[in-house]
Amino acid sequence: MRSFSGRGWTASLICLSVVVAACATGGGSSGPPLAGCKSGTTLATFWTSHTPPDSDSLKHVIDTYNGQSTVGCVKMVQVPGSETDVTKLMTAVRGGSGPDVYMLDRFTVAERAAAGVLTDLTKYGAGNLSSKYVDFAWKEATFQGKPYALPLDTDVRALWYRKDLLKAAGVDITPLDPANGPVTIDQVRTMANKVNQQDASGAYNVIGFVPWVDQGWHYTWGFDFGGSFFDSGTCKVTPNDPKIVSAFTTMFGDWAKALGPEKAQTWVSSFLPPNNPPQQWPFLTGKTAFIITGDWPLNWVKQYKPDLQYGVTYIPVPKTGDTPSTWAGGWSLVIPTGAKHADAGYDFMKYLAGPDGMKTYVTETQHLPTWKALGSDASLYQGDHVFFATKLLPVAKSRPPIPVGAFYWDQLSTAQDAVVRQSATADKALADVATNTNAKLQQFCPLK
Amino acid sequence: MTVRTVERPLAVEQRPRTGRRRQRPLAGLFQAAVTPRVILIGMCVLYVVPFYWMATTALKDNPELNIYPPTLWPQAPNPGNFVSAVRYIPFPQFFINSVILTAGTAIGAGISNPLIAYGFARIRWPGRDLMFAIVMATIFVPFPVLILGLFDVFTKLGWIDTFLPLIVPAFFGNPFYIFLMRQFLLQLPIEISDSARIDGARELQIFWHIILPLAKPAVAVVIIFAAVAAWNEFLLPLIYLQDESRYPLAIGLQFFRSQHNVQYNLLMAASTLVVLPVLGLFLAFQKFFIEGVSVGAVKG
Amino acid sequence: MIAVPRRLRLGKKDRSSLLVALPFVGPWVIGFLAFTAYPIYYSFTISFTRYSGFGEATPIGLTNYQHMYADPLFWKSMYNTLYYVALAVPVGLVIAIALGLAMNQRVREVAIYRAAIYAPSILPVYALTFIFIVLLNPRFGFLNYVIVTLGGPSINWLGDPGWTKISVVILAQLGAGGPALIFLAAIRGIPSELYESAALDGAGALRRFVYITLPLLTPVILYDLILGLILGLQIFTPAYVLTQGGAGAGAGQYVAGPDNSLMFYVLYLYKTAFQFTDMGYASALATVLFLVSVVLALAIMRTSKSWVHYEVT
Repeated sequence: MRSFSGRGWTASLICLSVVVAACATGGGSSGPPLAGCKSGTTLATFWTSHTPPDSDSLKHVIDTYNGQSTVGCVKMVQVPGSETDVTKLMTAVRGGSGPDVYMLDRFTVAERAAAGVLTDLTKYGAGNLSSKYVDFAWKEATFQGKPYALPLDTDVRALWYRKDLLKAAGVDITPLDPANGPVTIDQVRTMANKVNQQDASGAYNVIGFVPWVDQGWHYTWGFDFGGSFFDSGTCKVTPNDPKIVSAFTTMFGDWAKALGPEKAQTWVSSFLPPNNPPQQWPFLTGKTAFIITGDWPLNWVKQYKPDLQYGVTYIPVPKTGDTPSTWAGGWSLVIPTGAKHADAGYDFMKYLAGPDGMKTYVTETQHLPTWKALGSDASLYQGDHVFFATKLLPVAKSRPPIPVGAFYWDQLSTAQDAVVRQSATADKALADVATNTNAKLQQFCPLK
Repeated sequence: MTVRTVERPLAVEQRPRTGRRRQRPLAGLFQAAVTPRVILIGMCVLYVVPFYWMATTALKDNPELNIYPPTLWPQAPNPGNFVSAVRYIPFPQFFINSVILTAGTAIGAGISNPLIAYGFARIRWPGRDLMFAIVMATIFVPFPVLILGLFDVFTKLGWIDTFLPLIVPAFFGNPFYIFLMRQFLLQLPIEISDSARIDGARELQIFWHIILPLAKPAVAVVIIFAAVAAWNEFLLPLIYLQDESRYPLAIGLQFFRSQHNVQYNLLMAASTLVVLPVLGLFLAFQKFFIEGVSVGAVKG
Repeated sequence: MIAVPRRLRLGKKDRSSLLVALPFVGPWVIGFLAFTAYPIYYSFTISFTRYSGFGEATPIGLTNYQHMYADPLFWKSMYNTLYYVALAVPVGLVIAIALGLAMNQRVREVAIYRAAIYAPSILPVYALTFIFIVLLNPRFGFLNYVIVTLGGPSINWLGDPGWTKISVVILAQLGAGGPALIFLAAIRGIPSELYESAALDGAGALRRFVYITLPLLTPVILYDLILGLILGLQIFTPAYVLTQGGAGAGAGQYVAGPDNSLMFYVLYLYKTAFQFTDMGYASALATVLFLVSVVLALAIMRTSKSWVHYEVT
């Protein structure tokens, strides 16, 4: 064991030089910046945190773009990240090494714009596109009246139900047919309770409906009860809107109490633990008969249980005759501050978020478009997706685009959790949300 | 603690410890051979469960993942998952990157920490104790505090999206390893250095020719700890590397999870592959490794 | 350090010893200035500003520190972290010593046991938490299976705010193999003559452990306590991965576990900095954590004089 002999040093020097060489590679040459691009185009980098299959589709769009564009040549980079965690983008932009185009959760556009991470797109004429996109998506893409993003896809929430489980429990499922309009919450409660199954120890094997899991969020039920989360006039969040309080009380507090809060939470931890693989989604495994979720599980059904007997309808409403609602999220494209090839980047954005690029993307991924003209094109959708695109998208609401959106979301989630576990009343929990969030929001007021 | 420990063989000592045991062979045999094994196997079961779960899940097919309760052994083990996992992400590229980062960090740690620790342990100079207190205090700085400032430093150096921010700091010492090395060097009798000084040796020569050979086990510990940490490091590469062709495996694992999906069995297959090299390293160097720890850490 | 103030008037001998030490300690000084001191200084200055990380920082004096006092999440995350440390450090110590003793058993195939016990500590935390969630499933998990078989209650580990931190403590024990190795080495360093003479005096195994092994392990125990304290106060990754809902068909609508019971301090700091882009407040949080760490570590060091034995007495 003669460590640190001369040989060891030589070896380590070689290692080091390998490292340095590895770092130093790269650099440009004349001709097209990348294979598949036209010469004379400018290389623009595009970051997304999406992974296959979505990133595969993005690649297709990019290949088409690169083949025809005389302006830009796009290189896509998959970066780790999630909806609100933009550590990587933040640090990179700060260091002047950010991408030219970034795919950002649209509801955080205002927040990132307020922080100075995004480029105002007015000078590229993005403002002229406002009428091309669905209303809520465009609103999310702006901050203080200026466009900071081009909207890409969207997603909406619905009530899914298992026909087989409900029939086996003796439930008449005709009211659930969306052709009959939305069902009421009371109707769903009655149906769901017939499906509940407990074992000898009292633990739930099956719960008909747990309204606070999956996409049963504060916003879902708050909008459903007609609540309003933000008052732009006073520049204050309004989580203690009586309608939201009533939504929290009915769907979280009282519902959990009726099931037994602890038993219900044990069911949640057993069948919906964090990072649960989609194969074990309780709706697929028959552990629940109703669930509020988006359109993306259509892919899971196709992949993991194609023979599933299920249906999709409106989110149940408080009273007969109420208009149905849902909320929509989705992604957008932005140019981070300090982008080196912003012009080429914008050219690509316009393509991907325009009719051609978005059409390819939403068709391949079965996401929903924000380009108005594509929404009404039923040929883009298969099966139940038609319902999402044609019935739900038009009634969709969206989260208020405020510069403390991520904080507000966390606060609402904390309140939801407290109400479900019966540790606070809806009134109290939501009043706290208002206090905490408005304290943070104040510095950005007034908002245009 | 004395240096003697270094030479203490780690191999099993079979000799009976007391005269009493020799008189009662049967009970003694039971006590020496059966009881410890029962305890050890019991403990190991607890520690092997996560591994077992990882390896068996890695062999399961997609349909089997939705069986409740989960199956303990794959119904139809599918080693093809390992192939799929390697193809799902650019595994060979990530692997090479991990190796470069790990090797670079380990070399840096192996060079810098003994050198620095020597300066704190075996040379007297004014302000040394204060300076050592500062070294220890840096342990208490939460990393998120440093992220922004560090990023600025590396940006100015033009090192973003290279391996340098991940490797170069290792060449400037790490307080944990400095501490470990210093504890070891303090135990070596001061006379060794003194006699060399009388012979006119310079301090670097003493370090190089006399102390370092004696400190090899401790250096090995530092290298192995640094290597394992670098192999699994997550947050740093996440921040400093941008092009996916430079990502290490620890980050690559994230790609098995997407916004609405987790490739659970593939993630487990890839994780198994990520762990195996380190586990192999541990098994191969266990003897050396444990001896190395023993000399460094005992005198807290 | 190099630029010694003239007033100090170092003697010739002092100056030459500084020159001798310089090549050794110099690298650390450079690294410290570039990679630690500057970022800390930077962070400390912006803790007195409102700053998103971009554009101009607005000086706001002590506002960030005042805000902390009224911030329920600051108190919650501080409480969670101290609670976790108070639990994880002693438990970790006992487990590490127990594992160290077990690894020291004189059986032929002990190398295999050592590897098995050490193995989980080299698993990437990212993968480990995935596995851990499965093992902690209240209905189908391994842990509850064992507990219920032994006649205990079924525990909702990650869904009951009273148990979540204990779950993370258990998770941390899967990494106890590392510290256990250090204890193993220390135990092996104890001269066997001490045990032999004690055995001749008729001391049983327990007495030998209490009067010989334990006192001789106290320096390592101190090292482990400090290490455990630091790692405990900065606990981040398990909470970060365990609490990421949304992905996959995941989970409860938690921010950081039920009742925010897994909102640890550094997680909150990280969220404040990189999700809420409030660098000023995040830096103020960091400064406070640094102070708390130093105070706790000094307290342990203070008491250590009375219980750490460097020699057998």
